[in-house]
Amino acid sequence: MYNVYWILRSVTPAQRASAALNRIGLQHRLMRAPRSLATGGCAYALTLRERDLGRASALLSREAIPPEAIYLRLSDGTYQRIGP
Amino acid sequence: MIYLDNAATTLQKPPEVASAMRNALQTCANPGRGGHAAARRAGELVYQTRALAARFFDLEPEQVCFTANATEGLNIALRTLVRPGSRVVISGLEHNAVTRTLAGLGAVVVPVTAPLFDADAWLAAFEAALTPRPDAVVCLHVSNVFGCVLPVERLGALCAERELPFIVDASQSAGLLPVLPKAWGAAFVAMPGHKGLLGPQGTGLLLCRSQPEPLRFGGTGSHSAQLEMPEELPDRLEAGTLNVPGIAGLGAGLSYLLRQSPTVLRRREAQLLQRTVAGLQQLGLSVFSGPAQTGVVSFRMPGQDCEEAAEAFADRGIALRAGLHCAPLAHRTGGTFPEGTIRLSLCALSRPSDVEGFLKAARQIRDQNAVRHAVP
Repeated sequence: MYNVYWILRSVTPAQRASAALNRIGLQHRLMRAPRSLATGGCAYALTLRERDLGRASALLSREAIPPEAIYLRLSDGTYQRIGP
Repeated sequence: MIYLDNAATTLQKPPEVASAMRNALQTCANPGRGGHAAARRAGELVYQTRALAARFFDLEPEQVCFTANATEGLNIALRTLVRPGSRVVISGLEHNAVTRTLAGLGAVVVPVTAPLFDADAWLAAFEAALTPRPDAVVCLHVSNVFGCVLPVERLGALCAERELPFIVDASQSAGLLPVLPKAWGAAFVAMPGHKGLLGPQGTGLLLCRSQPEPLRFGGTGSHSAQLEMPEELPDRLEAGTLNVPGIAGLGAGLSYLLRQSPTVLRRREAQLLQRTVAGLQQLGLSVFSGPAQTGVVSFRMPGQDCEEAAEAFADRGIALRAGLHCAPLAHRTGGTFPEGTIRLSLCALSRPSDVEGFLKAARQIRDQNAVRHAVP
């Protein structure tokens, strides 16, 4: 289950991040960010499994694609900000 | 038809360009404006083309901005760097896309001139013009009138030493010669998508190594809650719905070029150029040529108006362009103003038979014109 939301403010860095994750075979989905997480208006989210967050963070840091925010979707459907 | 007007646009494209455009029309919605499959497909297609262009020009995808043409890109670059009264050094070969924009901005323009095909002389002339310090330097890579190649890499180094913003118009070189914004130290490089890159008309690229000011304002599918345009590229320059079918075609053109050997393409064009110039010279026509030249050749037929000569070629099924080529400054520099020239321009897909057909027609037109002038 993809329960981590890596938020990016525009589509091109989100696509670049997605391409980078694809290159190492890390499963994820690129989608428009839930409205409640897109504080500045429209944004994009890479959703991935919590256990993959460390690998994704390391890779996207190397690729210089910092997140606007990272959220964890909790079992009750709410979001908890876990970074940055 | 023998099509030799590739400096205006490449008419012959790889077949996959039209296929990609048709597919985009049938399957792609608005990129970045929805999460459904058709919008995602459009977004993926736009990103793929952006990433291909980034690979082609050795940049990051975010530095590649889609424009409608090279003119739009040059407008963005110039409007970012130039204010009324700014001193701007330009080559004396620039297109109206540069000169009219600078006139509209109220810039103090310093055109640099040198013998057309003497790259060292161009560089020396530019260096002399960099004192007093200008606010920006603009230079095309290849003249759209004469095909001469300007020393943009060395000029970029001069600008970098002096920390001067440098803009390059790569309209006639992108897809043919290496275009390397990083190596040139260029702030901006503008180009059309529909010439050497083999994409469709209505496409262009602005490669950004500096932060640009937007020319268009509006929706970008990002930062929607704020009134200001986003700071991030490419969103900052891409307000409004993108030309997705055009971008699809441009992506197919770039893919085609990436599958070819640039050396082979250049050698083929150089051979055709050599044959063209030699053939025109054998006919006794006035030809502009030199050591560093791409497949753009200007020539004149003595005693004949260039537009009438181009009409005569068109009547024989040969597409050329005559006149001032939207570059009156270049004609002043080359000594061909106001008469203009007839311009032949090759591309990667031109064939030897095109050149032979053209030369045959040139001989006929020259001979007919000689007879006309001989009649008392």
